[in-house]
Amino acid sequence: MISVSSPASVGFGLRRALARNRGALIAASVLAILLFVVDWISAGPLTYFDVSFLSSGGATSALAAIGQTIVILSGGFDLSAGAVISLVNAVLASSMDPMAPGASIVLWTAVGIGVGMAVGAFNGFFIAVLRMQPIVVTLSTMFILQGVTLLVMDKPGGFVSPDLGSFYLGDAIAGWLPMPLVVIGVVLLAWFWLKGTRFGTALYAVGSDADSAAAVGINIVLVRFAVYVIAGGCYGLAGVFISAQTGSGDPLVGNPLLLSMFAAVVVGGTRLGGGQGGPVGSVFGAFILMMVVNILLVLNVSAYYATIAEGTILVLAALAGSLSHTSVLAVQLRAARARLAAWRAGILPSQLERVDRRLRVSGPLHGKRDAALPPPALYRRNAEVLRYALPAYVCLLVIVIVTQIWLGRAILNPGYWNSLLVLSSFLAVLALGQGTVILTGGLDLSVPWTIGISGIILAGMVNGSDAALVYALPVVLVMACAIGFANGSGIVYLGISPIVMTLATNGILQGFALLYSQGTPAGFSSPMLRWFMTARLGFVTPVVLLMVVFVALAVLLLGRTPFGRRVYGIGNGLRAARLSGIGVERTLILVYMLSAVCAALVGVMLTGFSGQASLGMGDDYLLPSIAVVVVGGALITGGRGHYLGMLGGVLLLTALQMLLAGTTLPYATRAILYGLVVLGAVMALRERQPH
Amino acid sequence: MRIGLKIRRLALLAGMAVCALGVSAAEAAEKHKIFLSMSYIGNDWQAEAANMVKAMAAHKSLADKVDLQVQVAGPNAQRQIQQINAMVQSGAEAIVVYPISPTALNQVVKNACDKGVKVFAYDAEITEPCAYNVHIDQLEAGRVTAEWLVKKLNGKGNIIAITGVPGTSVDDQRTKAAKEVFAKYPDIKIVGEAVGMWSQAVARTELSKILATRNWNDINGLWMQVGCFTANSMQLEAGKKASELLPCAGEGSNGGRIQMLPEGTEVEGAAPPYAPAGAQRISYASPPYSGALALKLAVEAIEGKDVPKTTILPLPVVTNETIKLCDEGTWAEMKAGCNAFKPSLVSNPGWFASIFSDQTPEVGLNAALVGQPEN
Repeated sequence: MISVSSPASVGFGLRRALARNRGALIAASVLAILLFVVDWISAGPLTYFDVSFLSSGGATSALAAIGQTIVILSGGFDLSAGAVISLVNAVLASSMDPMAPGASIVLWTAVGIGVGMAVGAFNGFFIAVLRMQPIVVTLSTMFILQGVTLLVMDKPGGFVSPDLGSFYLGDAIAGWLPMPLVVIGVVLLAWFWLKGTRFGTALYAVGSDADSAAAVGINIVLVRFAVYVIAGGCYGLAGVFISAQTGSGDPLVGNPLLLSMFAAVVVGGTRLGGGQGGPVGSVFGAFILMMVVNILLVLNVSAYYATIAEGTILVLAALAGSLSHTSVLAVQLRAARARLAAWRAGILPSQLERVDRRLRVSGPLHGKRDAALPPPALYRRNAEVLRYALPAYVCLLVIVIVTQIWLGRAILNPGYWNSLLVLSSFLAVLALGQGTVILTGGLDLSVPWTIGISGIILAGMVNGSDAALVYALPVVLVMACAIGFANGSGIVYLGISPIVMTLATNGILQGFALLYSQGTPAGFSSPMLRWFMTARLGFVTPVVLLMVVFVALAVLLLGRTPFGRRVYGIGNGLRAARLSGIGVERTLILVYMLSAVCAALVGVMLTGFSGQASLGMGDDYLLPSIAVVVVGGALITGGRGHYLGMLGGVLLLTALQMLLAGTTLPYATRAILYGLVVLGAVMALRERQPH
Repeated sequence: MRIGLKIRRLALLAGMAVCALGVSAAEAAEKHKIFLSMSYIGNDWQAEAANMVKAMAAHKSLADKVDLQVQVAGPNAQRQIQQINAMVQSGAEAIVVYPISPTALNQVVKNACDKGVKVFAYDAEITEPCAYNVHIDQLEAGRVTAEWLVKKLNGKGNIIAITGVPGTSVDDQRTKAAKEVFAKYPDIKIVGEAVGMWSQAVARTELSKILATRNWNDINGLWMQVGCFTANSMQLEAGKKASELLPCAGEGSNGGRIQMLPEGTEVEGAAPPYAPAGAQRISYASPPYSGALALKLAVEAIEGKDVPKTTILPLPVVTNETIKLCDEGTWAEMKAGCNAFKPSLVSNPGWFASIFSDQTPEVGLNAALVGQPEN
């Protein structure tokens, strides 16, 4: 085949190879441009030392992103990656002996990779064998690992042999090739080998369409299990690398790497949901994100603008990565041109004469239901909802009983129930927004700073005056609509993946919040708002009454309105939804607007609850907002879930936190218990039939 | 389309670059190039500390000596490593850093020292011996506050502890030191403990969770790293009178300081709960001026003066005996002993009020609020 290839087929093969690796190639060229820009702007030319520093700076993220990419290619999602890096760092730093500075590189690298693979096997068991949703399993694992890491090492310290550092950060060829690049190269070579095997084909097949893969005889349980183990190994290696780089241990070192890891994967051209892309692009993506640090430094971007600049760069990189003839933006532009042409020619559907073009179907189809077929019984109609929503409520009951036995004063104490509902109200509101986004198969990561900026602006405008609340509240909600519109438009019209778009929006909002407040949020809640969130009318706080109304409206919105049906339709299949005449673009934009409005509402409520707004007040609500939706029985890939289930998830997690807060257990133990309970609660949600 | 976009982006970058170069080339001729590497900027303490550093750099005694560039590393130690490397590469003479991790930066800091760069860590510590550290003694903070609480309770009672960010050295040292004190008194019982993340908002949710199964009347005292202002507000909401507020050992937020003033004191802009209540308090803090002081010391070190490797700041402690309201909040006024600010000047009660140091006459209230130095 090699010897007889004609020029034509070479051209075809080359074009196909280019097309297939477009994501990685574009990421590579963006990286090259950034390197060029840094080289051009900074005082001196880029030397080998700069390259060496850059390569070691990006290596940890790159290695972890390789693992994450493999998981995502298989259609999964791994939130435990950052926690694995912390754990490996803690294990290495606490078990090496500072008295004997020499250490075996092979041994400790194997230990790190082994720890990572063990965690991967834990994840893989629940995901592949028990068929549970990756996002819940890995979220639980994340909590458990954070607890375990603090048990291994409760504060920064420990010792990692300098031998490890000089090996991993040194030169492979002095003056020419830094070792971090070699390490990444070796891992990528291993990936290329793997990709060529039957396992590699199976991996892409499972990620593209698990049912079809199973139908052609692929053992998808084994493939999925192996994917998490391999990915765990990659995180383990990343943990070894960061240990070598820092020379000591810190139990929190890996946690903040998680979100940027996803950004790296997406910037590198891998599609969330699986089947398309590869780790090479993710490596470039990781380095692009690291380069941003240098760009901001050489441009001397002011601190308050840093997150805005980062967000913008992220969007631009994602845009550059997606621009092509078939990209969403190009399609939208072509569609707009076609509409314009049709409008000029006067043949736009809305310009045509209004004639009823519906099919004439006679008979009872449109009329009354056939009397011979009574509607199915209530429990039958709602069996699906019950099956997925019930486990959360059963677990809630168990937690409340345990609270009663352990701490007393729960079941018969109206104060307990009131606290439970007040504390749940924030997540209950967020769950509607985040839940609706998840039902369409997206994810809203801009929640934290939508909360933050809403609270800060509201507190600043209200400044203790009830009268000001009357206009401040609408202003904040309109602003939230604009935020949601921006998110939705970016996703729909520019074709940017929801994770990247909302992550960028989050950074930009953070910058705006800092600029608006100059670092010190002013103002405080008005007496009425505070009364609403903290006073008691008899046994209940006023906000509880609002919650009842909110829940009823939310159930109606998702279950009984055309909007709700469109949301489920999109989540079950974008193309099918579009072909059945759903205005997908409009619906998606509305969904992100709903999410932003819910987040803004939470910002307002938190301001009333705390009495003032603070920077970072929304930071603790991102992961829980996703967790409650999934614990409540929703499918992270969209299309399945009920608001009442999500509400059950909210109540369950809040009751659990109240139980743990009432004890004096150490934080590490609480984190582990929290993870285990979440894992146990969703055990019942697993798919019954194997695919 | 794609090419067009990239060209536009390049043009934009080039424009920004020309501005940056133009400014720095003109000004930085004889100035010391100093970088500030901050952590996560999205919380009140960090923003306040950054304002004070900027004010220090803008003060007339330093303005024509220092070219300060501020960069944010976020919560990510890996990025801070990268950032410090880049700062060294671009010719920093000194780097002032809020270290995200006391250990993870050691290698990169050592590398910077080897190239002659002075590295100053403020508030938290860098364990690499060549770094300069400016911070309070966290063990002392935990011990002093716990001893105060034990004394207030006469060695007997149920207390609630709200800690900081788990896994950090600062939280570990404060909590351990406090628990050692409590352990000496068998009648002191910690009946509830929660992670407060050094945030008033988190303190409120955690306290609400604890109080769902408990009653304020079962509790005799509070030991909190951050959250006394919130705890007092919650007690007032629950119907307690100001005279019944529980003794609380905790942070130096301005809201908490105002509550310490005797009930009925006339204070401009005060509105409950951000109002005098005679709350029994000991108020301590990791002072946000540490970054500004670190910058000042860094300039001294560059100029060849002898600067000690570790500067332990005196623990700023305010009790009901020493609380005093400032009028304008100038440095001179604070030197005379005032330590709380009017709500009409500081509208955020969570704002950290321990901004006075003998060693930093360059910065006062306006420095912390808006980055304006004293005259």
